[in-house]
Amino acid sequence: MVSPGALDQFYALFEAWGIPWIVPRLSIMLGVVSIIIGFISVAAMFLIWWERKISAHIQARFGPMRVGGWHGWAQSIADGIKLLLKEDIIPKNADRPIFILAPMVVFASALAAYVVIPFGPGLIVQDLNIGILYIIAISSLAVVGIIMAGWSSNNKYAALGALRSAAQAVSYEVPLVISLLGPILLVGSLSMTKIVEAQQYLWFIVVQPLAFLTYFTCAVAETNRLPFDIPEAESELVAGFHVEYSGMRFAIFFLAEYANMFVVCAIATTVFLGGWQGPFLPGWVWFLIKTFFLLFVMIWLRWTLTRVRVDQLMHVAWKVLLPLAFLNLGVTGLATLFL
Amino acid sequence: MALNFGRWTSGGESVTAEEILQQIQGRFGDEIRTAEVRREEACLTIRADRNYEICRFIKEELGYDYLNCLSGVDWPADNEMEVVYAISSLKQPGKIMLRVRLPRDEPVLGSVVPLWGTANWHEREAFDLFGIRFENHPDLRRILLSEDWIGHPLQKDYQDERFVPYPWDDRKPGGVARPTTA
Amino acid sequence: MTTVNLQLEQIKERTAESMEEMWVNMGPQHPSTHGVLRLLLKLDGEVIRECIPYLGYMHRCHEKIGENRAYVQIIPYTDRLDYLASMYNNWAYCLACERLMGIPVPERAEYLRVIIGELQRIASHLIWLGTFGLDLGNFTIFMWCFREREMVLDLFEAVSGQRLNYSFMRIGGLALDVPEGWLADVKAFLEWFKPRLPEYDRLSTDQIIWQKRIQGVGILKPEDAISYACSGPVLRGSGFHWDLRRDDPYSIYDRFDFDIPVGESGDVWDRFWVRRREMEESVKIVEQALKEIPPGPVLSPVAKKLRAPVGDIYSRVETPRGELGFYIVADGSERPYRYKVRAPTFVNLSALPVMLPGYFIADCVAVLGSIDIVLGEVDR
Repeated sequence: MVSPGALDQFYALFEAWGIPWIVPRLSIMLGVVSIIIGFISVAAMFLIWWERKISAHIQARFGPMRVGGWHGWAQSIADGIKLLLKEDIIPKNADRPIFILAPMVVFASALAAYVVIPFGPGLIVQDLNIGILYIIAISSLAVVGIIMAGWSSNNKYAALGALRSAAQAVSYEVPLVISLLGPILLVGSLSMTKIVEAQQYLWFIVVQPLAFLTYFTCAVAETNRLPFDIPEAESELVAGFHVEYSGMRFAIFFLAEYANMFVVCAIATTVFLGGWQGPFLPGWVWFLIKTFFLLFVMIWLRWTLTRVRVDQLMHVAWKVLLPLAFLNLGVTGLATLFL
Repeated sequence: MALNFGRWTSGGESVTAEEILQQIQGRFGDEIRTAEVRREEACLTIRADRNYEICRFIKEELGYDYLNCLSGVDWPADNEMEVVYAISSLKQPGKIMLRVRLPRDEPVLGSVVPLWGTANWHEREAFDLFGIRFENHPDLRRILLSEDWIGHPLQKDYQDERFVPYPWDDRKPGGVARPTTA
Repeated sequence: MTTVNLQLEQIKERTAESMEEMWVNMGPQHPSTHGVLRLLLKLDGEVIRECIPYLGYMHRCHEKIGENRAYVQIIPYTDRLDYLASMYNNWAYCLACERLMGIPVPERAEYLRVIIGELQRIASHLIWLGTFGLDLGNFTIFMWCFREREMVLDLFEAVSGQRLNYSFMRIGGLALDVPEGWLADVKAFLEWFKPRLPEYDRLSTDQIIWQKRIQGVGILKPEDAISYACSGPVLRGSGFHWDLRRDDPYSIYDRFDFDIPVGESGDVWDRFWVRRREMEESVKIVEQALKEIPPGPVLSPVAKKLRAPVGDIYSRVETPRGELGFYIVADGSERPYRYKVRAPTFVNLSALPVMLPGYFIADCVAVLGSIDIVLGEVDR
C-alpha cells in the first residue's frame, strides 16, 4: 500500500520533532484499524441488505422496499441504529465480565483476519510470509468467543449451542486446513500475495476443484451458515449461543458473522479464484466481484437448503470431507513431485 | 407393510351390534344395567366395579381396540357421575358406547390405561375437569388446568363464574366470592 | 405445593440419578412448539431420554362455554379450536348436531361443504408443510406455501367475509350460497396449485438433506398408533389404510373417487409424505365436486330455536389433523347438557413421549412438527 521507505521517512519526521517513537506507529495502526472497521461495517451492512433482498426474491416477495427510498437501501443502517439505541441487557445470573468480553473476542478475530487479505496488488495491510497460517490461526479464535458467550449466558440453550459450535469448528477446521494445503504445495509459499501471483495464468480452481469444494463446504460450516447453522438453529436452540444477547452486543455478533463470511470468501477468492487478477478492471474491483459472487452462493445455499443434524454434520466432516481433502493433498503432492 | 384393511373386510365376518351385545351380556350378564342398539352402535351401561374386565374383553376378545373418546358427564340430579367410553375398531364397522355410572360423592373408577395408551390423557382430563379419580392410573395429575386449581369446572354445580384459582382475599374491595368447591 | 415447586422437586429427584443428564424446558415460548406447548426434555448430551408434555396454557374450558350456549351459538367457538382448519370444525360440529337432531342437508350445501372442506385441507396442509420446513431450517418453503394458502384464504374470504375464523357452516347447511363466479375461481386456483406441488418437492422431497433429516426418525409403531388412538396422517403414516372419509363416510364422500396415501414405517418421512400426497387427493375431490355440483338451496329450513331430543351422540369426521369427534349429550333443552370435543391433535400428541426417546433434540422438532399440533385444539 505504502512503500517502506515512505513509512520510515514518516517515522523519522516525528523523531526529528522529539515525539516518542510509539506515537507515529500507534497513529498509523489506529488509522489502518479505522479503515478496516469502516470497510467491514459498510461491507457487512451491504451484505445484510443484499441477503435480505436475495432471500426475498427467492421466496417470491420483495424484501425491504421503503427505508431510504430505492429498494430499501438504508434498511441495514436503520437496523443498526435501532440496535445501538436498545437497552443493554445483561442477565442477572450471567458471568458478567465474560459475557461482556465474548462479542469482542468474536469480532476481534474476524477483524484481525482482514490484515492479510490482498484486496489488490499492494493493497494489503501486511503481507505476512505466513499469511494463510495466520488467518487460520486467528479465525479459530472466534470459537473461543462463542464458547465464552454460551457459557457465560447461564442458559442451557446457549450452552448447548456453544458446545455444538465448538465441536463443529474443531471438526471442520481439519479438512479446511488440509484442503488449503493443496494450492500451497503448488505455490510453495504461505504468503497471500505470492499465492495470487502464482495464479496469473491459471486459477487454482481449475487444477484443484476438489480442494475448492472441500474448502467452500468447510467455510460455510465455519461461519455457522445454513445448512450448517446448528449452533444457532433457531427452531431447535432458539438462537444458540447468542440467545441472551440483545442490542449492541447482539449487533456485534451479527456484524462478526458477516465479517467472517467475507473473510472466508476472500480467502477462497485469493487461493482458488486468482485474487485480484483479471482483465480491464482494476485489481480490487475484480477481487470484490469474485468475493461477492462467492457470498452470493453462500446466501443462495442458505435460502434453499435444509439444516443438517448434529450427527450428520460430524459424519460429513470426518467421513466425507476429510478423506477427500487428504486425497487431494496426496494427489497434489505426487503431482508436484513427478511433474 | 401397509395394513390394507379395505373397508371392513379383513376382519372376516362382520359382527353386528346385536351380536356384540349378546357376547358381552353372555359373559358379564350381571354387570350390565341397560343395553340398547342404535344402528351400528351397541350402547351399554355397566356397573363400575368390573369396568376394566369388560373393557379388556371388548378389546382383546371382540377386537374393538380403538378407544375414540373417553368423557365424563355429571348428573347431579341422579347424584351420579358417568364415564362414557366410545370404542370402535379399524377392522369392524360396529361401535360400542360403554357408560359407567359412579356415585357422585365418591367417583372412583378403574383405569383403562393398561389397555389403551390414549386413555392416559383422557382420564387425566376427566380427573381435571370432573374430579373422577381413576385407580391404577400411572400419572393422575391435572392436565389442562394448573396444578393449584381449586375445584373441577365441568361439574354442574361448579359455582365460581369468575374461575378464581386462588382463595379470594376478603380485605380487597369486591373480593367477596370464595371458590365453593374445594 | 405450587406447580413450579412441584416440578422443581421432580427435576431434582431425577437429576440426582445421573449427573450426565440435563432437564431442558422446551417452550412454552419456544419457536418450534407451534404455540404454547411446554415439553420437559431429559437430555443426555443431545439425545432425548424422556419427554413430559405440559398442556393447558391456552385452556379456556371450551366445553363449559359450550354447555352454556345454544346449539347454534357454539359454531363460532368451534372456529377457535383448530384455527387452521376452522371450516372443518364448523362442519364437524354441525354434522354432529344434524345427526343428533335428524336435520337433512340440501344437496348443494353438501357439495359446497366438500369443496370448502377439501380446500381447507389443502390450506391446512400447506401451512403445515411450511412450518415443518421452518422447523427443519428451510425458510423458503414456508413462504412458498403461504403464497398458495393466501389464495385459499381469499376464496374463503369471498364466501364468508372472514380469513381465519369463518363460522360459515350452519346446522342444516351453509350460511350463504357462494358468490357468483366463485366456483370458477376455485377451478382457476386448482389449475394454479397443481403445478406448485412439484415445486415444493424441489425444495423438500428432492433434497438429500431433507430426506436424511426425517427418514427413520420418530418411529411410531403400528401397535402404539392403535393404543394411543392416533388418527389422520399420523395413523396413516404408521401403515393403516384408514380414513373416515371412506371408512365411516359422512356427507357425500362416498360419491368421490380418491386414494388414501399410506406410509410404511411410521417415521416422520411417512407422515410428511402422506400429507404431501393428500393435497393431491384433495385436489381430485374438489375437481370431481366442481363437475357435479347441482343448483338449489344451501340451508334446509330449521327452527329458530333448535332443541335436540334427549340422547347422546358421538360423531366423528376426518379433519386435516385426524379424527375430530364431538360427544354431545342432549337433555331436550336449547343447550347441550354435555359437550365434549375429542380433539385429534390432543390425542396424537399423547403419543409424543413414545416417539421421542432415543432421538436427537433436532429430531424432537421434526417429530413434533410431523404430528401437526394446533394448541387451540389441544388445550381447548
